[in-house]
Amino acid sequence: MLEVSALSVAYGKHQALRDVSIVAAPGEIVAILGSNGAGKSSLLKALAGLVPKSRETSVTLGGKDISRLRPHEIVEAGLALVPEGRGLFGDLSVAENLQLGAFAKRARQGEADRLARVLDMFPRLKERRAQMARTMSGGEQQMLAIGRALMSSPDFVLLDEPSLGLAPVVTQSLFSILGDIAAAGTGIILVEQNTRASLRIAQHAYLLENGRIVGQGTAAELSADPAVQRAYLGL
Amino acid sequence: MLTNAILSGLTMGGMYALVAMGLTLQYGVSRIMNLAYGEFVIAASFVAFLLFTSGGLSPLVSLLIIVPAGFAVSYLVYGILLTPLVRRARSREALEADSILSTFGLLFIVQGLMLVFFGGNYTSYSYFNTPVQILGTTIAANRLVVLGFAVLFGAACYFFLMRTRTGVALRAVAVDPIAAGLVAVDVRWAAALAFALGGAIAVTGGVLVSMFLTFNANIGVVFTMKALIVVIMGGVGNVAGALAAGIILGLVESFVATFVDPGLTIAVTYAVFLAVLLVRPGGLFGTAK
Repeated sequence: MLEVSALSVAYGKHQALRDVSIVAAPGEIVAILGSNGAGKSSLLKALAGLVPKSRETSVTLGGKDISRLRPHEIVEAGLALVPEGRGLFGDLSVAENLQLGAFAKRARQGEADRLARVLDMFPRLKERRAQMARTMSGGEQQMLAIGRALMSSPDFVLLDEPSLGLAPVVTQSLFSILGDIAAAGTGIILVEQNTRASLRIAQHAYLLENGRIVGQGTAAELSADPAVQRAYLGL
Repeated sequence: MLTNAILSGLTMGGMYALVAMGLTLQYGVSRIMNLAYGEFVIAASFVAFLLFTSGGLSPLVSLLIIVPAGFAVSYLVYGILLTPLVRRARSREALEADSILSTFGLLFIVQGLMLVFFGGNYTSYSYFNTPVQILGTTIAANRLVVLGFAVLFGAACYFFLMRTRTGVALRAVAVDPIAAGLVAVDVRWAAALAFALGGAIAVTGGVLVSMFLTFNANIGVVFTMKALIVVIMGGVGNVAGALAAGIILGLVESFVATFVDPGLTIAVTYAVFLAVLLVRPGGLFGTAK
């Protein structure tokens, strides 16, 4: 279980997140929906330890408190972020990026098997192993970023707008792979503006507005909610 | 004469490449622009000299003592002197500026200590200074030993950085420290390790230099400048670039000294440096950002 409660983040005087609480079960896809500037990226960055959280914030993963850990310790605990802009090492090869994904001590055992699984999942990466990461297309880079996160053997991956800048058909195949990843036991916290595609693969979703949670429910409930349909699905 | 120029160019070039590799680690990974770098090189030369003249220890044996000591001292310098700057810096650029100022101070401290202990005179000792015939030319045996060791150490560092997990992690920090944290690399640990490894490489260079050059307490800055030129020419943080640029620089210097005029070497060095930067601003192997 990933349990987040009373999460607040402030950048100077600007309050980006206020008292946010979310829960995700193992192997579950939880979507965080909201418009630009709602605080979605701040939420993931805070969970990954990239921005400071307020003192009241509590984040636990499998019962272990990870609220005060530094970024590398959070990966070690089982939470892997694929940041906005993907955070790849552009001058390093695809193979080196994947190898670095398994730098965490928790990921050393079974590394070869995991690499084989990731390459099966994203066959393009297999073809391009020796290529420098920054010379690949946006879709391929996104696959590499997700593959690299999976190499750390995470309990949950945090995905920040994976569909951004991708062609609809690429997004579609990417989202179906996300479904497979969750089905194999790795939970996903999915931050997206693409509400429709997200609700299709998610079990639960939270609605974020101006740094607060303003609604939540199962994906089916939210898809059927007239207010959500108006505001997020454009129906 | 040609073979001689090539051999001595390769020796000097190997030294430059080796010494520059240490600086590129310290600068590329730790983001410390260490102006006292050359002082670490020369301090090691003096220690090797001392161990040789008073202890009768061959410089090749003293490497076994001096290299670990260089690692340890650099680790302490990082932990005590530079960590407060790292914690306080708001950005990598700010850290670079702060580190220039504080290592500039360190330069004078180390230089002052060397002046106190060893004086300002040129120092040298004669180790393995027997002429050998090779490819129709005569060269001092110690230069060949130095060339061999520079290649050996250079290859070891290259292998470590390119092929081992820790080496790849250090390069990842050089490329993007935030993303490195996201793949479980402890960035503070990596910075301290890179700085200490850089220091270990610097003192290796110093011991090798002492075997065939005369040195004094004031010439550290020459090594800092040369290493800096090689690092920038090769592309900051780029190991292969540093190797190539170092060897090119050594060969150019040696050819100019042999066939043109020894007094022109420094001018030509800078001319090559400027030419490379004009054509490839990111360095030979660097990527323009």
